[in-house]
Amino acid sequence: MADILFEDIFEVKDMDPDGKKFVRVSRIFCESESFKMDLILDVNTQIYPMEFGDKFRLKICTTLREDGTPDNGEFNQDSGPNRADQFEYVMFGQVYRIEGDDTGVDTASRLSAYVSFGGLLMRLQGDANNLHGFKTDSNVYLLMKKLAF
Amino acid sequence: MQKEAHIHVVSKNLYTQDAQRKPCQFGVLDPKLGVCGANRTCETCFQDVNKCLGHFGYIDLQLPVFHIGFFRSIIVVLQTICKKCSRVMLQKDIKQEFQRSLCRPVLSYLQKKGLRKKIHEKAKKTTLCPSCGELNGAVLKCALLKIAHDKYRSQKRQSGPLTNINEAFHSAKQTMPDVGSLINSYTEILNPVRVLELFERIPTEDLPLLLIDESIVHPRDFLLSRILVPPICIRPTVQSDFRQGTNEDDLTIKLSEIIFLNDVIQRNRLNGVKMDKLVEEWDFLQLQCALYINSSISGIPAHMQPKKWIRSFAQRLKGKQGRFRGNLSGKRVDFSARTVISPDPNLRIDEVAVPIHVAKIMSYPEIVNKINLEFIRQLVRNGPDVHPGANFVIQKANEHKRFLKYGDRNEIAQKLRVGDIVERHLIDGDVVLFNRQPSLHRLSIMALFARVMPHRTFRFNECICSPFNADFDGDEMNLHLPQTEEAKAEALILMGTKSNLVTPRNGEMIIGATQDFLTGAYLLTQRDVFFDRSKACQLLVWILTNKDEYEKIRLPPPTIFKPCQLWTGKQLFNLVLKLNNNCKDVINLRAKGKAYCGKTEDLCPNDGFIIIRNSKLLLGCVDKSVLGANGKTNVFYMLLRDCSEAAAATAMARLARLTSYYLMNRGFSIGLIDVTPGEKLMTEKRDLVTEGYTKCSSYIRQKQEGKLQCQPGFSPEETLEALILKELSNVRELAGNLCLNELQRTSNSPLIMAISGSKGSFINISQMVACVGQQAISGSRIPNGFEDRSLPHFEKHSKIPAAKGFVENSFYSGLSPTEFFFHTMGGREGLVDTAVKTAETGYMQRRLVKCLEDLCCQYDMTIRTSTNDIVQFSYGGDSLDPIYLEGKDQPVDYDRIYNHVRSKYRYDSEMPLNGDEMKEYVNQQLVTNDYHFIKQEYKDQIVDFIQDVSFKVNQHREKFHLTNDDKDEEDERGRQISSKKKKRRLAAVLFEIERCTKSQLHQFLQLCKDKYARSILEPGTAVGALCAQSIGEPATQMTLKTFHFAGVASMNITLGVPRIKEIINAVRIPSTPLITASLIEEHDQDSARRVKGRVEKTFLGQISQYIDEVYLQDDCYLLIKLDLERIRLLKLEITAMSVIDAIVREKKFKKIKYNQLAFIDSATITLNVPDTLKTNLYYTIKRYKEILPKVVVKGISSVDRAVISVEEKEGHKYKLFVEGEGLRDVMGIMGVNGNKTTSNNTMEVYRCLGIEAARTTIINEIVYTMASHGIGLDIRHVMLLADLMTYKGEVLGMTRNGLAKMKESVLMLASFERTIDHLYDAAYHGQKDTISGVSECIIMGIPIRIGTGVFQLLYKHPNRGTITGRNLMFDNIDMHQPLITSTS
Repeated sequence: MADILFEDIFEVKDMDPDGKKFVRVSRIFCESESFKMDLILDVNTQIYPMEFGDKFRLKICTTLREDGTPDNGEFNQDSGPNRADQFEYVMFGQVYRIEGDDTGVDTASRLSAYVSFGGLLMRLQGDANNLHGFKTDSNVYLLMKKLAF
Repeated sequence: MQKEAHIHVVSKNLYTQDAQRKPCQFGVLDPKLGVCGANRTCETCFQDVNKCLGHFGYIDLQLPVFHIGFFRSIIVVLQTICKKCSRVMLQKDIKQEFQRSLCRPVLSYLQKKGLRKKIHEKAKKTTLCPSCGELNGAVLKCALLKIAHDKYRSQKRQSGPLTNINEAFHSAKQTMPDVGSLINSYTEILNPVRVLELFERIPTEDLPLLLIDESIVHPRDFLLSRILVPPICIRPTVQSDFRQGTNEDDLTIKLSEIIFLNDVIQRNRLNGVKMDKLVEEWDFLQLQCALYINSSISGIPAHMQPKKWIRSFAQRLKGKQGRFRGNLSGKRVDFSARTVISPDPNLRIDEVAVPIHVAKIMSYPEIVNKINLEFIRQLVRNGPDVHPGANFVIQKANEHKRFLKYGDRNEIAQKLRVGDIVERHLIDGDVVLFNRQPSLHRLSIMALFARVMPHRTFRFNECICSPFNADFDGDEMNLHLPQTEEAKAEALILMGTKSNLVTPRNGEMIIGATQDFLTGAYLLTQRDVFFDRSKACQLLVWILTNKDEYEKIRLPPPTIFKPCQLWTGKQLFNLVLKLNNNCKDVINLRAKGKAYCGKTEDLCPNDGFIIIRNSKLLLGCVDKSVLGANGKTNVFYMLLRDCSEAAAATAMARLARLTSYYLMNRGFSIGLIDVTPGEKLMTEKRDLVTEGYTKCSSYIRQKQEGKLQCQPGFSPEETLEALILKELSNVRELAGNLCLNELQRTSNSPLIMAISGSKGSFINISQMVACVGQQAISGSRIPNGFEDRSLPHFEKHSKIPAAKGFVENSFYSGLSPTEFFFHTMGGREGLVDTAVKTAETGYMQRRLVKCLEDLCCQYDMTIRTSTNDIVQFSYGGDSLDPIYLEGKDQPVDYDRIYNHVRSKYRYDSEMPLNGDEMKEYVNQQLVTNDYHFIKQEYKDQIVDFIQDVSFKVNQHREKFHLTNDDKDEEDERGRQISSKKKKRRLAAVLFEIERCTKSQLHQFLQLCKDKYARSILEPGTAVGALCAQSIGEPATQMTLKTFHFAGVASMNITLGVPRIKEIINAVRIPSTPLITASLIEEHDQDSARRVKGRVEKTFLGQISQYIDEVYLQDDCYLLIKLDLERIRLLKLEITAMSVIDAIVREKKFKKIKYNQLAFIDSATITLNVPDTLKTNLYYTIKRYKEILPKVVVKGISSVDRAVISVEEKEGHKYKLFVEGEGLRDVMGIMGVNGNKTTSNNTMEVYRCLGIEAARTTIINEIVYTMASHGIGLDIRHVMLLADLMTYKGEVLGMTRNGLAKMKESVLMLASFERTIDHLYDAAYHGQKDTISGVSECIIMGIPIRIGTGVFQLLYKHPNRGTITGRNLMFDNIDMHQPLITSTS
């Protein structure tokens, strides 16, 4: 499905390494299980508390519609059943920057995609193959659900 | 005079002596001279006060007197001419030479003055008249208003011509013994009669040599034999209310006194009175006539001293309140408003709220036409007392002005016809001019739209405080209402706030969000601010007022869908920039905020990195750096430059509303808890302070024991001071950091304000919480006010921190009494400084403006003065307007525009170019016709930029192995769905990086072109005035007088206002002259030491072991023993021989010859003292011994000291800073790189290196001074100033002397300073004024030739016929649409 850009299971490795700067938002650093992607994500912990070591499923897609037809970016208050129903935490944002990673040595095909969810930042870093669908200025949805142990 | 006058005034009485008190006939107040006061008519022209201009009379003086104003000129003429034959005393050939240069058709005023000076100087020295051979001596002023001619000064006492005189004296002595005392003075007093006679005889052909134009003025006119009595209306009589009689003007009194004296002299001459009595009366008449013209003459003998100071003609013209500055250059207006100002964030930034009270008085003459007829009728019906009303009606037919307060308004309204003029009240939407004094720059008066509102103050949006420099602590402002449609339109375009968002000083924003708006925006865009739907909508509707009332808002999808729908503050902020999708204005911005942690850009944990992409705030808390009124990385600046003025203005107004209402809802307050330090902070601070104190006392102990290592160029005391200061400032800083870490970023109000930049700084907070720190007076610690101590609470000579003004307490903990006292001392210095500064900068501003006001860009893009002297061939070398420069001194910030274009236009269908393609495309485009007007310099800039970008693109492609082939392949196969699916997918995302398509590149070039085209200076721009304002206005904001010099701690150089003043005045000896010498061997410390030794002066005393007197039986001499070890250590290049040379050169010795000095060995020299008759040998030796130690044996005597500085960054480069004068000498020193040696002394650079170097020095120094105060100033302004100061070939200061050498116009000079002198000078030369400059035009009431006034008809056709309207070709009356459709 072309509208699902990425999907994997992550584990929270670190939270607010520089100290908690904001009351209601925490920055989590995670690592994915299957694609070995690095994730940095700001989460509103007031309404969706996260703990160190939490595992969650994360899905990034361009639409919430079940059939995968692209939406127009307009906000519809009661859109009926959609993908969000299966997840606990859903955010809407915009990809604003895709960048080659020039930190590592053998990172020839490592890329970072930056997404801003109304100021809440996400950086997804990893092999370029896993980020193929990302396109700057496109709207994306982030869907999250914690996994029970 | 007689012709001009109507009556001969003879009567000394003002009024008839009878009871009627009528003005005396032929007196000074004769009604024939005009009228003053209502209900009277003039007896000459029979008109009333308003019509009669007044008539002159005259007084015939019995004896001529000198005209006080021309007194100097009279002396000059007398010095130039022979006192017998009245010819100019010049040799024939010299005369002819001068006559040739005088024959030039156009002699400028300055040339005239110069020639006059030259001729005068030549003639003054002549003692024998070349034409008649008569002896001439010096002509001098003696006593007050007397001229003496010392004819025989050049003669020996007993020579031929004198004996005759001596004989005459002796014979006179026998009859009159009084003469005896005068026997040895042979001077002749040239009395006015004699001078007049001499002047009359000056031959006509010699007049041009005196630079006098005979057709206009003759030297005889410099003496008064008749004076004009001015009309009564300029010296009105004032009826006193309280007591009987009248108050007469000073001039009237003086005139009647003169008549009285005149009468006395006349009577005495007839009766034949003693000569000395007559002379005395004559002197007195002379003095009265002088006082009549200029009452401020010094040196009046005590018995003649006038009893009361009078306001004479000179005083009427002179000074700030005088005619020139008070009445001619600035005039009073009918109807203006002034009241207190207050803020109102609900108003747009181009609006001002005007009280109804004001609106009812200020009126606008609206011309009635078909469309507004009904509206105006209603206004007339309302009358003057109801607000949207009118005050007067002027009917077109009879021009009669009717006041609407009385009479039947309904009837007047009904009678209103098209073409009538109605003085209606000020109403909403009227354009008004709003001003606050001091008007230091053009933004101090701006055009705003009026909004009539209740209450008594003018209100406006806080955003426009900064251009006015206004606050609301009781400031008052003025308001004017332009009276024509043209004026309104022009004001709106040229002076509207929207057109003035940017200051011409450096092209940065001056109007921007301030104070609460910044706090609000900062809090709103915090990362953890969320709103549910109802709250978000409520906030948003606050944006909608005024013009936005019916705008639609597009609410974006919420950031968080689940668990509940939440919008973030940043999303709401986005709507300020872009309310809905109809708005096409899009901006892009990447900037570092104040909270930025310094690394990791996007990932900054403080959310300090701000990214706005396509008008969406993606990241970062906005603060002052992106909203405030400064810098070019500013949201509003982007809107202004990439979109429109209106977009920026609206966004600002919306932000103002949104943030202030958000802040109201959220609540924002400050309390003691915010500044209470925690327990941990307290202990840590205490430790810090104790540690600092111990260090300080250890320094003090070291100094007392003499162990302190001196810093270069420092005495031990200074070293100690520097060390302690450093230590204490360190303590304060650490304490500040401690408290910053301690405080809660999210909830501490002062901290939030500091971070958002709305008010206060981190220092302020740490002063409140932790430690106030060192109090300083003029840059050093508190000086000793008592004997050897600052306060009697401390021990004498105490240097401990507390005794010298260190305040360890915080404002929260409270200051100890001594600390408090030190704090007030520091505070007072600030107050005194501000008070002194305002006066100083005000005067500086006035001088700058006067000098620069008429500089203007002409149509050939040259910058010229009003007399068409070229100052610059193109403005700033590139003819670009600083207002429109987006980059640093260049019209486009390429990087920003490139990124902006790439994100604004995506061109999804296109494939990105690779680096080579980009280069090729750009090179192709730039040679096309579209870009022909762009200078090659800027084309090169674009090419260079693209070069860099393409390099990056290629690098990226290489890294990911993307080649052109790949792309082509992919392009082709994309449609066929190739089997290499994986590779294709991989490519798609990789192409996103550094993506730039052809159309994007095209857009980029177009934008660069447009921006360049826009930034070209418009002809007519008053660049001079802008320059003066741009330099003068920031000067008022400069604080502190001196700063430490950046490089070496030991050198202080003057900065701030005093320094600017020094540069601008072209002071000959600046207070801190400094030569920066670069060395040939830059990295060698030893060589630097050696050069220092060559530069710095070394006294003989410093390098000699001893200087002794040696007395032998047959000889005595001085023995000088050099300290060779010391010389070697200091690396001085001194030998005994060079010492001998130095001694011989020393001027204090009277001619010491080489043979007096004997070279004994390499360390010993003897100085023999000659035994002459005149002087005693013993005393000579003693004197020599005193002088010898002070003989400069090495170095430049004008240099005070030299210091070596090391630039750590650039691999230990050594430089030499030399304090003092002598640039040329320093440059000549071996080891100094003369090419890279500069001085900060403009005049010295001019003398040594020439005028161009002086210009560069001026530019560098002003830029440096401004930069060290953190004032951004476009270099073009400084260049213009420097060019004006140097374009005459010498460095002219912006002072009265410099100005007189720069400008021709008398009116302009007179309206500046020394009014009277300039007027008399002009009268002497018969100078004509072309009325072309700004000052002159203002004085004459003519449109100035700057701005829209630059173009004129070059040819005025003599036959200016009447213009007849021609019918339009296809104009048919029947097809006209009726302007008002009848409703029936």
